[in-house]
Amino acid sequence: MKVSELMKKTGLKAINQIEDKEIESVYISDMVSDIITGAKANSILVTLQTHKSLIAAANLVDVAMIVFVKGKKPADDVVELATKAGIALFTSELDAWAFAKKLAELGLK
Amino acid sequence: MSACTHQWFMTNIRSGYLVFEGCFECGARSSFFSSEAVPPIDEYQEGKHFWIYMGSFQAVKFDLKCSLCGITVDLDDMNGLMLSTCEDPDCEVGKIVRRQGKGTWVYVALCADSTHARGKCVGGEGIEALNQYFNQNIKAPDKKILVVPCRLCDSIDKCRGIVIADVNLTDMYPDASQGGRPGAKN
Repeated sequence: MKVSELMKKTGLKAINQIEDKEIESVYISDMVSDIITGAKANSILVTLQTHKSLIAAANLVDVAMIVFVKGKKPADDVVELATKAGIALFTSELDAWAFAKKLAELGLK
Repeated sequence: MSACTHQWFMTNIRSGYLVFEGCFECGARSSFFSSEAVPPIDEYQEGKHFWIYMGSFQAVKFDLKCSLCGITVDLDDMNGLMLSTCEDPDCEVGKIVRRQGKGTWVYVALCADSTHARGKCVGGEGIEALNQYFNQNIKAPDKKILVVPCRLCDSIDKCRGIVIADVNLTDMYPDASQGGRPGAKN
C-alpha cells in the first residue's frame, strides 16, 4: 500500500510533503534504541515521540513514514531533518492502539 | 574479512543502561554498558582515574552475524551511534560529511572512551560490518549510510550530531530556535 493511499484511508494529516512510497511493514515504539533493532526499511513507525533522535534512528533503518499519535506534532527542526531524509511525517488524533487496529484492518502487519 | 558477500542480521541484542562516568582528577569521560536491573552508581579508582557517576539512560547493544558464512562480529566496543552534523573544518568527520554527496548520511560509532586515552575505539571489522548491514537494508535508491569510528572526531565531546539514545526524550521544549534541544549535540 502506498503512503498516499494509507493517508486517505486512515485520516492522517500530513506534516511534510515527501515522495510517495510503498509501505511494507509496521513498527510501534517510543524508544529510539528499540527502533534501530526493530524497525525495517519502508516501514511505518507509529510513535508518541517527537524528538529529533527519533529521525536519526528512523533514517538509519530507512523508515518510510512516521505517524505521531494522539495529535502530537514535532518541532520545525525535526520536520526539516525528516524532510531532508525523505521520511514522510503524519499526525493522527487516535492513540497507538486505535491506529494500530486501523492498520491491521487494512491488512498491514 | 572473508570473500563471503555477507548478509548481516542483528544478534545477541541485549537491553540495559549506558552509564556515563567522569574522572574528577583529569576530566576524562568514559561510559560502559550495564545489563543490571538498576544501573550501578559506584565511585571507584582505576589507575590514575577516579570515576564518578554522571548519569545513565536506557540503551541496547547488539552484534552482527552473517546468515551466509555464520561469522559473528562482536560490537561490544560500540556504545552508540550518532548522526553527524559536524561542520568543523579541522575535524576529520566534518571533512567526511562535507565530501559526501546528497543522500549520504554519516553516522559516528561511539566507543566507551571518548578521550581514547586507552587507545581503543570501535574496530575496523565492526565498522565494515555496520556499513554493510545498514546499507544492505536500505531501499531508497539514492540513499547511503556511512558509519565511521569516533576516533576520527577532533573531539567527540564537542562534536556536533544527534545521538541515537533514549535520553531526555520526555523533556519539553517550546521552540527549537531557543536552542538546547535535548539529545542534540549542537
